[in-house]
Amino acid sequence: MIQIACPYCGPRDEAEFAYRGDATVHRPAEEAGFHDYVYARANPRGWHLEWWHHTGGCRAVLKVLRHTATHEVRAVGLPADRPEPPSA
Amino acid sequence: MSATEPHPWLAGALVPGRFGAAAGEPVRLGTRACELVQVLARRDGDAALQAAIRAAGGPDLPPPGHAAQGERMAALWTQPRGWLIQAGPDAGLARRLADACGPAAAVVEQTHGRCVFTLEGAHARAVLARLCRVDLHPRAFGPGRVAVTPLSEIAAVIHQTGAAPGFDIIVASSYARAVAGMLAAAAAPIGYQVGGDQMGGDQMGGDQMGGDRVD
Repeated sequence: MIQIACPYCGPRDEAEFAYRGDATVHRPAEEAGFHDYVYARANPRGWHLEWWHHTGGCRAVLKVLRHTATHEVRAVGLPADRPEPPSA
Repeated sequence: MSATEPHPWLAGALVPGRFGAAAGEPVRLGTRACELVQVLARRDGDAALQAAIRAAGGPDLPPPGHAAQGERMAALWTQPRGWLIQAGPDAGLARRLADACGPAAAVVEQTHGRCVFTLEGAHARAVLARLCRVDLHPRAFGPGRVAVTPLSEIAAVIHQTGAAPGFDIIVASSYARAVAGMLAAAAAPIGYQVGGDQMGGDQMGGDQMGGDRVD
């Protein structure tokens, strides 16, 4: 069980959240890039920036920096935030 | 619309009496009749919403995780730029707030959409802790605090109303019967009292059945 420190609600259990995918993909301006935008995902071992939706609480969509191997959560922010992955 | 009508879903779900463990101080379980209005500020609507709430006798809208009590109504934070307004019987509150806010906020009548349970007594925290995941310790939570969190998988707003401690538990009316059963099951090992001196009257509510229902 991981805990995510919601900026509004404070630390809450993972069970209150819905995982909403990779937060690093950007909608392409050209139609050509759409296949990768919709389907292609990296599967990194390490720090990953993700969307988590606090469905059981304040309903905010959060940007979470999580380590995919250790599940350590390093940063939680609002959609406008741009947390930097640690270099390690 | 009358706030004091009992929720029909609860008929027979909470009957007055003492149940569960017979020894020790029981927790008190009941329901609260009140008007509930959900308000959500639209873009750039915060100031107009705050002005409308204040003009209606409400408080300064509280920050996340808190409730504020005004002259005529309380405001409970429920989501970013969203609050639940709780007032005593006050027919037409939602309509008046909607008129005052105009396009600044989405105002939704929730009096019959939500059901408010009350849980009070020295062991109320222990009962609630069986059902939810938030830290209710006085160091982390206290009177005037609000948590929006699932209560055994059912979306709920938990509002600590008193230091006794006392809690209001606000859930969707359609889940009220399930939540009544859940609260009763969680309180049974401690013992619980329905009705009596302080509360629990309105789910019986014979004299309150005559409220006129508009719409």
